[in-house]
Amino acid sequence: MNTPDRTRLDELLDLLADEVAVRLKAGGPADHGGQAPSPGPTGLPAAPSAGVAPADEPSLQPASLAPADEPLPPPVGPPHAARLMARLALLMLVLAILINIPFNRHGTTLATALPDSASLMIRNGLLVKEAGKPEIYVYQDGRFRWISSLDAFEHYGFKWDNVRIVEDGFLAEFEIGTPLHALLKCESSPHIFRAERGVKRWIIDIPTFEAEGHTWSDVRIVPCTYLREMPDGETIPPGHGPPPQP
Amino acid sequence: MGNLAVIEAILRDRKNFFGEIRDGIGLAPKMRAMLLSSIAFLALYGAVMGSTHSFWQALSSAVKLPLLFLATLVVCAPTLYFFNLIFGSNQSLGQNIALMLTAITVTAVVLLSFAPILVFFLLTTGQYQFFKLLNVGICAVAGLVGVMFLVQGMRIVAAGGKEGAGARANVVRLWILIYAFVGSQMAWTLRPFIGAPSMKFELFRQLGGNFYANVFASLGEILGFFTVR
Repeated sequence: MNTPDRTRLDELLDLLADEVAVRLKAGGPADHGGQAPSPGPTGLPAAPSAGVAPADEPSLQPASLAPADEPLPPPVGPPHAARLMARLALLMLVLAILINIPFNRHGTTLATALPDSASLMIRNGLLVKEAGKPEIYVYQDGRFRWISSLDAFEHYGFKWDNVRIVEDGFLAEFEIGTPLHALLKCESSPHIFRAERGVKRWIIDIPTFEAEGHTWSDVRIVPCTYLREMPDGETIPPGHGPPPQP
Repeated sequence: MGNLAVIEAILRDRKNFFGEIRDGIGLAPKMRAMLLSSIAFLALYGAVMGSTHSFWQALSSAVKLPLLFLATLVVCAPTLYFFNLIFGSNQSLGQNIALMLTAITVTAVVLLSFAPILVFFLLTTGQYQFFKLLNVGICAVAGLVGVMFLVQGMRIVAAGGKEGAGARANVVRLWILIYAFVGSQMAWTLRPFIGAPSMKFELFRQLGGNFYANVFASLGEILGFFTVR
């Protein structure tokens, strides 16, 4: 560094030192006289104590007056952190409200707009329906089982609200189990029918009933008129002629 | 804004702040300000966290998250106070609670500062297990920062009493472990905070399982080891 530069630096340092001296003088004890006690150093109202210097006593505030071997007081900047936190809190409040406002007639919100299957928790009892297909499946013991009729859906106590719509092809990744059927019977008839895709299929005898893996707890008693109104489907096993009417 | 000034004080001038707690200066207004600001921040974070499921879950989590921290404080505060007392501390219960509230306030501030990140992931990923673990991670970081403030505060507030200082430092460390265990069990009891997408909204879920097993299960599912049922 050459001499003219050093001179300019010295001048600048002198100016800075003068400015600091003027500011220290301006912020000294004399200026506090007659003013109301300021709030505690933390910005909160504080009770008078030994820790707070009275207005008429010399203040220890300026760091430059502290002995050199004592630690300097922590730097206290402008109080913008509290303001920033308040703004952030306000922003988050607005965001929390915005992402919860439904934007279509199904009540979808921004927060829940992502495809369900991406966030599905696969557990027993989970009901799913692929978007482009009518079949509803329930997850049971490691596999999805097709619920073969509305009667079966009601018989097993499922609720429409719990059916999750998933994208087509979702079920291809899972093992598909045996379908879940409802067996229908009316009081005045000995015949048992299996409801399947909106039709009733007559199970011709008990060995077939057992061979199909059904149990008596699957049988649902319904009014005979209900069974009669249901269209007939193929018998179980197929090829046993027109089924008897209940 | 008045109550938020306490955050400025804790973050920027913590030594002075803890010094005032040590001297018992303005304890009640400090505690009130910390309580209000931490409730507000935790409620906001809770609302964002619950938004992944439904509006009701958001509302429920906004109430339950502050409740979680305050209930944990109530459960754990006597232990810290009496153990400190046994090892020669001259702090009052109010001072102890003020220090714990400081930790909770710092935790709440950190959580709120993470809230925009949470919103980002909420809007860009739908994977429930990932979102759950993200929240566990954020809460762990926030809790860690909070207890660091507690340890520092304890050191400053207890600076006067030399008798049993080492034992008291160990008590604080042990207490932090207890606080973490009680907090995690409390969180498990008050769940759901996020709400599993395949389940309907529930205010509280039936007890069973535990927090740690669930976190490991979620981790296993994310890494593709198994499916959570």
